[in-house]
Amino acid sequence: MASIDSLQFHSLCNVQSSIGRRAKLRIPSNLVVFRRRPVNLNWVQVETKRRFVCRAIGDSSTPDEDIQNTQNDDDVVVVVASTESNTPSDSENSVSRFRSMITTLPPVVFVMKKCSGNGIWIGICIAATVLVAAVRTYVVRKSRDNQPAGSVADLVRRGQLRSGDRRGISKSLNYEDPFNNPFVKLDKGNSTVEMCGKVYRLAPVTLTEKEQTIHQKRRSRAYQWKRPTTFLKEGDSIPPDVDPDTIRWIPANHPFATTVSDIDQDLAQTNVYQKQGVPFRIRAEHEAMQKKLEALQNEEKLNNLSIDSQNAREFQRPYKLGTKLEGENIQKNSQDNVTGNSSSEETHKT
Amino acid sequence: MASLRLFSTNHQSLLLPSSLSHNPLTSSSPRFVKNPSRRSPIRSVLQFNRKPELAGETPRIVVITSGKGGVGKTTTTANVGLSLARYGFSVVAIDADLGLRNLDLLLGLENRVNYTCVEVINGDCRLDQALVRDKRWSNFELLCISKPRSKLPMGFGGKALEWLVDALKTRPEGSPDFIIIDCPAGIDAGFITAITPANEAILVTTPDITALRDADRVTGLLECDGIRDIKMIVNRVRTDMIKGEDMMSVLDVQEMLGLSLLGAIPEDSEVIRSTNRGFPLVLNKPPTLAGLAFEQAAWRLVEQDSMKAVMVEEEPKKRGFFSFFGG
Repeated sequence: MASIDSLQFHSLCNVQSSIGRRAKLRIPSNLVVFRRRPVNLNWVQVETKRRFVCRAIGDSSTPDEDIQNTQNDDDVVVVVASTESNTPSDSENSVSRFRSMITTLPPVVFVMKKCSGNGIWIGICIAATVLVAAVRTYVVRKSRDNQPAGSVADLVRRGQLRSGDRRGISKSLNYEDPFNNPFVKLDKGNSTVEMCGKVYRLAPVTLTEKEQTIHQKRRSRAYQWKRPTTFLKEGDSIPPDVDPDTIRWIPANHPFATTVSDIDQDLAQTNVYQKQGVPFRIRAEHEAMQKKLEALQNEEKLNNLSIDSQNAREFQRPYKLGTKLEGENIQKNSQDNVTGNSSSEETHKT
Repeated sequence: MASLRLFSTNHQSLLLPSSLSHNPLTSSSPRFVKNPSRRSPIRSVLQFNRKPELAGETPRIVVITSGKGGVGKTTTTANVGLSLARYGFSVVAIDADLGLRNLDLLLGLENRVNYTCVEVINGDCRLDQALVRDKRWSNFELLCISKPRSKLPMGFGGKALEWLVDALKTRPEGSPDFIIIDCPAGIDAGFITAITPANEAILVTTPDITALRDADRVTGLLECDGIRDIKMIVNRVRTDMIKGEDMMSVLDVQEMLGLSLLGAIPEDSEVIRSTNRGFPLVLNKPPTLAGLAFEQAAWRLVEQDSMKAVMVEEEPKKRGFFSFFGG
């Protein structure tokens, strides 16, 4: 934003005409200076719309009139200074001088216009760049605000969730090429490596096999441990012929373990090795349920049995006709039973 | 333990991708040479740009333990396991914590665990019904030992885990390449159960004195139990604190414990986010520093290799003339 101290515009002609109309106003041509104050970038656009308003201040009869600055709405300062001459001939001379000044100025004006044109375009470009950057930043920030961290869209953007996974239409991932990794770069001397944009210095490993052996021997002396094979609860007696180093005492209230083997080991092994078919417990439960159903069905059959009239007589008690008859019948029955038994005994003997 | 590998040129031609010539990592000199003794010790710090070759007998049964709680065992299990799955290996991860179960949360599979090993042993379900397959990587499966508040006989857990591993080896789909067991903290029954079927161990520790002492004790117990292949992952490394001598360096930790280095994982706030969201770190795009470190550790685990150099401190990035303009 360059400030232009003096500037001559085509609008000067308006000033000239206004000067001419106001005969009493004496404005020598060499004393009219248009000074513009530096304001802002918009001066380029404003200058075409600006209107020059010249105000004559005071009477120019005195030779030493003060120069007064006037200011219009467009921050244009018109400095008018009066001279000693007040005669019409002097005014004509001043006008002619003013005209001559104007006629000599076009090249300057042209140069200024040219420079101002280039400067205008530079300014336009800079303004456009700044505007585009600001708009882009705003859009990005707004999109980030609309997608809170952890949301599904955020996860998809980060590559941690595929949009097809939720809809069940995703294909299996094909790993692109892990063996040609662009994120890992070794330098020519193999002394540094760049990973994920950071450069690291490499140092060789110094552990030798001899040192490893020394550490192994140290540990074998320090840690004497045998795999426990016997697990006992508190209060159990130690079985004979068992190495005490292989005994492990387990508290009874251990939350995740028990010493009691409630599982048949052979059965468990069979269950683990089963490759096809119904698993053992499921089959056992199914069979148990089937038996239960059958038992229930049998009970229902018994309860729902219907009674016939013919069968009902067999279950009736004999009707009482008289005591003698009953006694004779009983005797008959007893004799029949005796002969029946004797014959059966004879048959058994033979 | 460091292991030397010999690579033939034919082997290289089969494994090296066609785009290798454009890779800046190999532009200067061939990475894998016939005579490994001529290799400089720093060159193999990053074994990338080729698929890792599986070493050892399958299934590789690896227990991830630490002794001290909260150092990152479950995080390591989840991320290393998924990295192995991404490399194309079939992985079964077993959460061997009898009382507290966390691995399913880190993997985002907590809503899909219906059956555990206890149900398999009791005959409520088959083993294949208790395995939870990850939908993101179909060659990764999760198996939980038990639900909270369920009890197992003390001496029975180790046997049960051995049966489980054996059943996984003989399943119709084929034996998995890796069985990774997430060991609970401490050195009591849970620890004994978890290490029972393992052939090798990864010891996770942080560079502080309490974790180091527990790690040393656990290493001694593992060696007494017959596990000799023990490698170390140093977790939550802060290079700025190491530079200011407020934290032990990775090399200091190695000097104190005397174990081969599988990986050094830098402190990363993304770990907490990934834990809360059930999305392991190694699946992030773009990858984070800790995620890359886990991938590298998984790579070395496959090849039974160890770190030859560590990242010591951060250097300021050298900026060129055009860096001001974003170059």
